[in-house]
Amino acid sequence: MTKRNYATVNPCVMCQPMGSALAFKGIENTMVLYHGSQGCSTYMRLLLAHHFREPVDIASSSLSEKGAVYGGRENLKKGLRNVINRYNPKVIGVATTCLAETIGDDVPAIIREFKEEEGIGDDPEKDIIIIPVSTPSYGESHVSGYIKALDAVVRKFAERPGEESAVKVQNEKLNVIPVESLSPADVRELKEIFEVMAGDYIFLPDISETFDAPLREDLPKISPGGTPLSEIADMPNSQASLGLGIVSRNLAVKYLEESHDVPGYSVPIPVGLSNTDSFFTEMVKILGCPIPVKYLKERGRLLDAMVDVHKYLYGVKAAVYGDPDFVFSLTTFMLELGMNPVLIATGSKSKDFEAKIRQIVEKINPELEPVVLNGIDFDTLNDAVSQCNPEILIGNSNGRYIAKSRDIPLVRVGLPIHDRVGAQRILTVGYRGAMELLDRITNAIMEATDTFTAPVPAELAAYAEKRREEECADEVR
Amino acid sequence: MKEKIGIVDTLEERKPYITRKQEKGQEIPLACDNNSLAGAISQRACVYSGARVVLNPVTDAVHLVHGPIGCAGYTWDIRGAKSSGIETNRTSFSTDMKELDVVFGGEKKLSSAIDELVGLYHPPVVFVYSTCIVGIIGDDLESVCKTASQKHNIPVIPVKSEGFKGNKSDGYKAACDALKRLIKRPSEEDIKKKGPRVPETIKPKINILGDFNVAGDVWLVKPLFEQMGIEVIVSLTGDSTTKAISRAAEADLNLVQCSGSMTYLAKWMQAEYGIPYLNASFFGIEDISLALRRTADYFGSEKMKERAEQILEAEINRIMPEISRVRERVKGKKAAIYMGGPAKALTLIKGFDELGMEVVIIGTQTGKKEDYEQISYSVRDGTVIVDDANPLELAELLIRQKADLMVAGVKERFIAYKLGIAFCDFNHDRVVEFEGFDGFVNFAREVDASISSPVWKAVRQRELIPEAMESEKKSGRIKKVAVEERISRENCAKECKGMLLKPEFLHQKSEAAVESQV
Repeated sequence: MTKRNYATVNPCVMCQPMGSALAFKGIENTMVLYHGSQGCSTYMRLLLAHHFREPVDIASSSLSEKGAVYGGRENLKKGLRNVINRYNPKVIGVATTCLAETIGDDVPAIIREFKEEEGIGDDPEKDIIIIPVSTPSYGESHVSGYIKALDAVVRKFAERPGEESAVKVQNEKLNVIPVESLSPADVRELKEIFEVMAGDYIFLPDISETFDAPLREDLPKISPGGTPLSEIADMPNSQASLGLGIVSRNLAVKYLEESHDVPGYSVPIPVGLSNTDSFFTEMVKILGCPIPVKYLKERGRLLDAMVDVHKYLYGVKAAVYGDPDFVFSLTTFMLELGMNPVLIATGSKSKDFEAKIRQIVEKINPELEPVVLNGIDFDTLNDAVSQCNPEILIGNSNGRYIAKSRDIPLVRVGLPIHDRVGAQRILTVGYRGAMELLDRITNAIMEATDTFTAPVPAELAAYAEKRREEECADEVR
Repeated sequence: MKEKIGIVDTLEERKPYITRKQEKGQEIPLACDNNSLAGAISQRACVYSGARVVLNPVTDAVHLVHGPIGCAGYTWDIRGAKSSGIETNRTSFSTDMKELDVVFGGEKKLSSAIDELVGLYHPPVVFVYSTCIVGIIGDDLESVCKTASQKHNIPVIPVKSEGFKGNKSDGYKAACDALKRLIKRPSEEDIKKKGPRVPETIKPKINILGDFNVAGDVWLVKPLFEQMGIEVIVSLTGDSTTKAISRAAEADLNLVQCSGSMTYLAKWMQAEYGIPYLNASFFGIEDISLALRRTADYFGSEKMKERAEQILEAEINRIMPEISRVRERVKGKKAAIYMGGPAKALTLIKGFDELGMEVVIIGTQTGKKEDYEQISYSVRDGTVIVDDANPLELAELLIRQKADLMVAGVKERFIAYKLGIAFCDFNHDRVVEFEGFDGFVNFAREVDASISSPVWKAVRQRELIPEAMESEKKSGRIKKVAVEERISRENCAKECKGMLLKPEFLHQKSEAAVESQV
């Protein structure tokens, strides 16, 4: 393997502010403003527009040289003022970039000052809520940016000044907070499940409409949908929180547990059989209701499908890469299908990733000794692919060069997917998601190996040709 | 405090940047060439982006981004610029600066990264782009690059593109400054010899400046000049190599297409090496013809002029049937143009004219005063001209100006689509060539494909509200149910409060009745 210590070649990760946008965009009537230079917002808008195929508006404080030298206070205030003026949002998520962090702007203080000047109070009913989150681009990754932004949102709505002594009015709701951005289709599927199972639930952040909006009569300035603000404010009163993802730490779930006594439970992102089983089982434990027949039937159909395809997938060597928790869940599913995930990688630097992966491999297929890589770039992945020789690649679009150069199929999941349509509709969660994923993986393998349309062997072809000639001769005669 | 809405409902400070062409010759008081307004959602990027898009098509270079991972990641293989050989430029290189690098400085990591990459890729040149953070912590790129250059015996060139230090145009300049360092100085004697009168025995040489070979554009342009007996030394920067760039100063003439990014370099080459330049565009029949004729005129050779006419006649005759066919289908349609640079916007006006279409909106991210004067001169009265537009302005303009098609980049694409307006990408995302004669056919076909698609008819009817059959008629017969103009429109309006845009043309009564089988 190539030894590189200093240069990153083809990144497999994005920067923190990107994660914050993925989180903020799932909140009702919210605008995002990056405190930094103009390019950051444009680049991330570009990537999100490519992936979701939706218009994505993200503001920037457009820091110039003057701002960088004398501080970005005035630019940030002006940016906030203009966003309010033009978009009239209920919430503005202010994420910092490397520039704003390094020049040392005290963003919360500037926001306080701005609110005072503009007469913006703290009443979520009538005031605009501005939520700062510190996401320097040189720290961690988009995954941590996502987790931090959600944590900041929950804190902002839970900690209301002057209401410390307020008595908690418990509700029957279930908080659901993922640690990584799921596709709009995934969010829709999960919401449907919660609708049936939990009745009352709060899903944060809900990008099912905001990043996959129906074509409508008019073009709203801020895409409708997202988690309602009143619901976020109600999260501290919920009976429990369900965190989706077990590799990364779910800061919002932890905060609600520690500061508001909302018991927090975490399950893997429900991709694949056992992870979806744990997801339903946990809900049954928390809510005390049975699994609806509809899902039991879906589970049965998944089992049926797994049996149908087991021979195509058994022992197929696969490489999987992406965000840590999603990769964990994908790995579990592949192991359940009898595949051999020989290379399992994430671009994020995640301290628990390798241990969790080893645990699940040990549990399902202890004979397997996969290469597990943490904080990689695609060049490192490429070297590892050469070493492990997988027959299929599973991950985002950026692995396409590797797949192409080795002439193996790539099943696209995760973010970004910009070289195919339908990223917003890719369903991987729940039993239905597992079935769709299973079909896609199997079909990719069948296509690659030409299972049903194997070319006619040469001697047979020659025989057929000879027969035809004879028949022709007969006819002539 | 909402007063009379001008051309478009927008921020007070944005109003000077939007104007309407009133009458021919009138000087337009359009504000431009300023930094973007905070919070206004500019479609522009930053200095680094300007440098990156101009330099990145240099195929055999290692393009190393010194900064946090995002800057390199989001611009990885950004241009769609094709290469006929090596493709090192399609790999994304970054120093991936982390917190410690920011605290202690990134020079050491940078110099080690250069060493590593030179060892692995053996590039003829390394471009090192500086990003915001580098400008703040003050890494001395110049000295790191100088040392590396001496150590590896190849040019290692710093590109001064700190994101916040200006706008995209400053990035173009930073890229040109980097290119300047690659161009080898010819001998004084050769410089003296420069001029239009190239002896018949010697093949005249030109460079094409500001063509990035997106989708392979240059490959449709170069042969035209070669057929005229001219050698194209290098195209800057589409499909270029370090070696070809180093020879650029051997040219007798520079043709500048993307004026916004390359005029600076052309002027420098004129001052330093006495190479004159002409502005040219290789898009649309009129502009390609002009480019060939002006080049032949410059060299003054009758044979070359004759050759140019022969090429033009043959090529125009070849493509005209197809252009005429498309023209019949799209003529009279209204186009909106929003481009990064002014040169492309200007040439598109002519292109649309050749298709019988009318331009109703035209805007750029980086136009300067003289560009907008020229644009104003080229468009009809009533056309809206806008600098550094934002999504809300664009959406409202598309509706108010009743555009049928928009030509722009990815960020604008989905605005048009959501409004039910056809779209053509003339930016990095395009997959077919638009330059040269065949390129113009591609363009015409794409415009037609988007405008003529039946999906627009389908999206005109966005809600389906069939009426239930009266109970006595429920006898299994087929009944036509007319779709009514809205009951739930109020509900819809409630749902999207904060929404001010009311596209009139989308409110036309649905034409289609729906056949409902009960």
